[in-house]
Amino acid sequence: MNTPRDTLDCGHSLAELSAYLDTGQIADPAHMDSCPECQAGLASLRNLSALGKDLLRSDVTDAGSGNDDWMQSILDNLQLELRPGRSIPLQSDHPDDTLWETEGSISALIRSVVDALPGTAAGKCRLHGDVTTPGAGITVEVEIAVVYGHSMEERAGQLRQELAQTLATHTELAIEAINITVTDVLEAPATPTTPSTMEEQP
Amino acid sequence: MTGSPAAQHQLDLVPDALLAGRAADGDTAAFEALARRHGPLMRATARRLTGSLADADDVVQETLVQAWKQLDNLRDPAAVKGWLLRIVGSRSIDYLRKRRNHADLDDAENLVDHHARPRPEDPENNALSSSRVEALKAALAGLPEEQRRCWVLKEFNDQSYEEIALTLNISADSVRGRLARARVTLARRMEEWR
Repeated sequence: MNTPRDTLDCGHSLAELSAYLDTGQIADPAHMDSCPECQAGLASLRNLSALGKDLLRSDVTDAGSGNDDWMQSILDNLQLELRPGRSIPLQSDHPDDTLWETEGSISALIRSVVDALPGTAAGKCRLHGDVTTPGAGITVEVEIAVVYGHSMEERAGQLRQELAQTLATHTELAIEAINITVTDVLEAPATPTTPSTMEEQP
Repeated sequence: MTGSPAAQHQLDLVPDALLAGRAADGDTAAFEALARRHGPLMRATARRLTGSLADADDVVQETLVQAWKQLDNLRDPAAVKGWLLRIVGSRSIDYLRKRRNHADLDDAENLVDHHARPRPEDPENNALSSSRVEALKAALAGLPEEQRRCWVLKEFNDQSYEEIALTLNISADSVRGRLARARVTLARRMEEWR
């Protein structure tokens, strides 16, 4: 497989050195450490790898920003299908009517409550329990990220209250518990130039 | 859906894992924030693999469609970037296979790269390093197609030998061999150039 040019005078191949670069493994590490030829070969491969990273950076710069038109037109073409999740039955005044809302609309509602609280963003959100049976006990699990500097317990307590209120107003779910997990503490934006809900004036 | 400018700005600040979790829940705004964040990298790698900007945009679009459908299968939401790049890799290779059926193998992009001559006489360091990048582009364009794919999937898409093997439908040993040959050729060209 190797052409003579690929084998160093010390008998080792550049293919071995190339694999060593990726895996950190080589048959004869003691030799490699002391062999000037192997060291020169490695140095040359490392230079190439560094240059490859320069090329990648240059290509990424050339690709433009994700906020540019090219990305917008890709996003416009996507037409993402919605993920409705389970169907949640609603009471109706007429027995002949069947009304329901989707699990997806409930998680969107939960996210909007969390996001509206300054310095807080929602992550994953789950409804545990049989939402398809009216009156079944439901536990809500929400992951959140909080900007550094906010008291997490206070934040979680306030959120729990607001979520309970919103869910009671907008849904017929029998919420038994709302569990909030802080998964990330975010750095506050250094020099915010645009108004953002992530910053909170004292 | 969270579509207000403030909410969008806020999503730009949160980590990948959180966005991926929301997107898996069906939050299109979070998915779009992920797409915007990693779009330039996806576009850059797809462009190196397919050799054309127009194809790269098609690949990015197909990648996002597939990603949206398969987000539920993503086990580690924090690894969403690598996951997207793997999809970009396999979609790009699919694209090249399809294009091969359309006979015309030469692409304008690579021809342009061939003409990018190294300029060793550049006095300034900045210009020197950018002309070395140009020289690498030219050397890369001169590689056999299969070696170039291995090199880009490794160095740009950061894939393991096994992942590259899967994408290219060859053995991991072949990946190792092709990658080594690509590197040796490129390193030699770059040293000659220096």
